[in-house]
Amino acid sequence: MSNGSQATTEIFENLKLELRRGCLTLAVLTQLRTERYGYTLRKALADDGLEIDEGTLYPLLRRLENQGLLVSQWREEDKRNKRFYRLSPVGEQILEQLLGEWQRINTSLSKILQEA
Amino acid sequence: MSTSSSRNPLELVDRYLQAVRFWLPKNRRQEDLLAELGEDLRSQIEEKQSELGHALSTDEISEILKRCGAPMLVASRLGPRRHLIGPTLFPVYEFVLKMVLLWILVPVFIFIVGPATLASTNGDWGKTVLVTLGNLWSGAFVAAGIITLVFAILERTHAIADINCKWDPSSLPPLQKPERKTSFVQTICELAFNVFGLVWLLLVPNHPFLILGPATAFLKLGPIWHTFYVPIVLLTVAVIVRLAVALARSQWTAFPLWSQLLQTAVSLILVHYMIQAAGHTVQGDWHPFVTIADGVRSSEQYVRYTTIAAVVNVSLLIGLVGTWLGVCIGGAVQTWELLKHIRKNRSVSQQPASVQLR
Repeated sequence: MSNGSQATTEIFENLKLELRRGCLTLAVLTQLRTERYGYTLRKALADDGLEIDEGTLYPLLRRLENQGLLVSQWREEDKRNKRFYRLSPVGEQILEQLLGEWQRINTSLSKILQEA
Repeated sequence: MSTSSSRNPLELVDRYLQAVRFWLPKNRRQEDLLAELGEDLRSQIEEKQSELGHALSTDEISEILKRCGAPMLVASRLGPRRHLIGPTLFPVYEFVLKMVLLWILVPVFIFIVGPATLASTNGDWGKTVLVTLGNLWSGAFVAAGIITLVFAILERTHAIADINCKWDPSSLPPLQKPERKTSFVQTICELAFNVFGLVWLLLVPNHPFLILGPATAFLKLGPIWHTFYVPIVLLTVAVIVRLAVALARSQWTAFPLWSQLLQTAVSLILVHYMIQAAGHTVQGDWHPFVTIADGVRSSEQYVRYTTIAAVVNVSLLIGLVGTWLGVCIGGAVQTWELLKHIRKNRSVSQQPASVQLR
């Protein structure tokens, strides 16, 4: 691969990462309206077309929990200890606000793209 | 190809987690994250087993672990974000480092430590260069280390955190004046002055009155004058040519800068050798710049003339040392100007056309 196209790919990957970052938080919070543990959450997101690796998901879950948006609990299921997550009451409020914001951004962006 | 000698393929997961743990800070949060990662991997293995209908082999488990990533990389993603100097402080750190290393340390070594070393090595240039470069390297290393340490402490103590609150727009520096090009009139004046100087220089050997004035009656030009006369005349001619080219080719924006720097370097060498030559005493008779005229050696006022000659010689030597220092400072300023010009040209050539047109 030439240096030029390599640089373009790198720029694209970085921008994609930035674009995904906010969307992932929204997707994770939305999925955790129902209680899930890490692996099933990853699977649910992947089934909906949003793959996320372990190294990204678990620190994100921990951050959201520290911010008080999630609550978690270690529980035994199928003879194995698993950490289950779900939205906290504060998380539900914030998610509603975030979804409203997302709708506004989406509407604006659609309008801009139509005009272009 | 089998990659493990263990009998239990699932042991590979524990080995993998152990390797990830090695790169993580040892605390409960990280243990928690590791436990979750282990659970995730076991869930993946379990699902694959139910999909294939048999227990996974070591190779199949290896595939899952490979997809997860190398232990060090996974640990870097799971662990806390760590940096010695964060993105907020880094531009300031870079600026201070450049200032200290390039604009303080290097000039100090070139203009102060270097000459001092030259004096202590009795004019051995090779040894001086080696010793100065060695000291410069150690000095730069220590300075960079101290600066890094100070900034790392600032980062840890969040000492810079309240800058944003204290920031006041009225404290912003005034707008920089646009770069002023050397004016046409200034170059013409410089050219005229140098032509006049050249004519004066050419007349001096036959008319020493032009340099010594009434003292021609009892003083004459010393040996340094005769040794360095031709190089001084040549340098003056070179300056005239430089100014003429700068006038004729005003579109060559870099030419005045580098040619002036070159001229400064040549002047520096010339003045250096003049100072060195002035330091040599021939049989206790120190009259490098002016000496007693032959006609007054038997005069009654000979002692008085000798005193005057000594005062003139010392004054000229002091003047020459001052000139050397001035030329050094001029050289540093000209180097800075040239670097600024090069950097500006580079940044202009890298900007998109739309920005350049503004």
